[in-house]
Amino acid sequence: MKRLLIALVAGLAWAGSAHAQGPRIEPPPAGLPPSVPTESATPDLIVDLSRARVSITSAFQGESILMFGMFDPPGEVVVVVVGPEARETVMRKQRFLGLWLNTGRQSFDDVPAYYAIAASQPLQRLLARGAGGEILSLEDRMSTIKPVGPRAATELAQFRGGLLEVKRREGLYPAAIGQVTVQAGRLFRVDLPFPSRLPEGVYEVKAYLLREGKIVAAVSRPLPVGKVGFSAQLAGWASHEGALYGLGAIVMALFAGWLGGAIMRRL
Amino acid sequence: MEIYLPIAEQSMNVFVLLGLGAAAGLLAGMFGVGGGFLATPLLIFVGIPPAVAVASQANQVIANSVSSLQVHWRRGNVDLRMGLVLLLGGAVGSSAGVWLFTYLKRIGQIDFVIAVLYVILLSTIGLLMLAESLSTYVKRRRNPESPRGKLHTHYLVHRLPLKLRFYKSKLYISALLPVGLGFLIGILSAILGVGGGFVLVPAMIYLLGMPTAVVIGTSNFQILFVAANVTFLQATTNGTVDVVLALLLILGGVVGAPIGSRLAAKLPGVVLRGLMAVLILAVAAELLTELLRTPSSPFSLGTREVPP
Repeated sequence: MKRLLIALVAGLAWAGSAHAQGPRIEPPPAGLPPSVPTESATPDLIVDLSRARVSITSAFQGESILMFGMFDPPGEVVVVVVGPEARETVMRKQRFLGLWLNTGRQSFDDVPAYYAIAASQPLQRLLARGAGGEILSLEDRMSTIKPVGPRAATELAQFRGGLLEVKRREGLYPAAIGQVTVQAGRLFRVDLPFPSRLPEGVYEVKAYLLREGKIVAAVSRPLPVGKVGFSAQLAGWASHEGALYGLGAIVMALFAGWLGGAIMRRL
Repeated sequence: MEIYLPIAEQSMNVFVLLGLGAAAGLLAGMFGVGGGFLATPLLIFVGIPPAVAVASQANQVIANSVSSLQVHWRRGNVDLRMGLVLLLGGAVGSSAGVWLFTYLKRIGQIDFVIAVLYVILLSTIGLLMLAESLSTYVKRRRNPESPRGKLHTHYLVHRLPLKLRFYKSKLYISALLPVGLGFLIGILSAILGVGGGFVLVPAMIYLLGMPTAVVIGTSNFQILFVAANVTFLQATTNGTVDVVLALLLILGGVVGAPIGSRLAAKLPGVVLRGLMAVLILAVAAELLTELLRTPSSPFSLGTREVPP
């Protein structure tokens, strides 16, 4: 409830911003009774994103989004970005008759498509003081994914490690813990890198304010990631109207081939 | 200039794709076979997921065969009856092929199967072509005007039942033969994203004994419909046809094909076939190395399944 209130106030504070996004937070009624705790009336933490959404257009090559905001010192800021969860299947290659081929596979449920964490101080130090529970390091988050089907613990650990490795390689689990930079003791900013092969869905960007290792404020912003324009239309048809898309692809190729042939004969 | 491919879900350089299309078109213009058997492995080399490369390449094959068919149809070089019989097998084969493709994709073996099949296919064709062009070259030097052999020889296959008369091809053979051939090419087409002309054309000449004049037109007739069937089925079952990718390959092909046919007119056929053989063998060798080399990481991810 307290967090909701903070978000509410943050939303109000930033309602005038051209960048206001996410689900619009309705401003509270004009005569908000002063009975609200004073700490929320002057918000501890306010944030915004440089973009309301990540648009995958036909020119998309990955994008970097800036989260910025202000907090009431003293305190430390931690930002966590989590992509939508899904089932992922990890495959492992082994040498067989001299050739490398997939011989083992393991699925996991609740795997976030993307996971990044950034902090204004070394995260270990912040979390060691008991902020855990809600804020999870990548390794802790990975230990919560659920394996599908039984398997020996050592094997599972290998596949889990493999998943982490592939996701890191694809830039979906940025390996280094990002740096939240603080200026003038109260302004902060952090760059969130998104690679070009980015799964679609609604991502959650959450900022926490920690004091003495305890979360005193948290603001969450949804960040929709999706294809827009022509590529969105094509991908939509391909997944929902496969038959129509297939026929369209055939007609396109027939026409292009016919036209190409006609032009070629003129040359 | 980068372009985002909506189905492959990655961005790729436009000129790389146009260049690939042009290279395939060049081959098509030079040899009268689609360049799919080289374009698909090259697409995989540049990082397109094999499943998308194969399905989109099938889409490109349609364009390739329609522009070739135009010419041959007008010249009356299509044996429609033979084409339809081939297609009967081709339709069944390509449908079975897409089913097999889907199954292999689900169990995570499709990339491996595509690579292995390509290695076998390309090295066989490359070696045969190389041997043929070398021996022709040697023969020509010894005897510049070697007489042509018989039109075709009769084998055991000519004694199969269900004989049909193919007037245009001047053949009286069992329908089972072209049906079976069409079936095999259909499977190949679905799994490898090729038209199959490079296998179909020699098989029609040497196995069925068709006259060379009608072979290219008739094979293009069968390839057109088989590629359309593969495109449709891949789009409905796997959703792996990337039309943006296919269109770029087609555009490149339109530029490459006339250059190829002009080159073919200038260079002697033996030299051309020799060069082509070397190119094919190089691609086969690269694919084989990929299979033998210890991967940088043994792990990879399958398709992400978003809960409903």
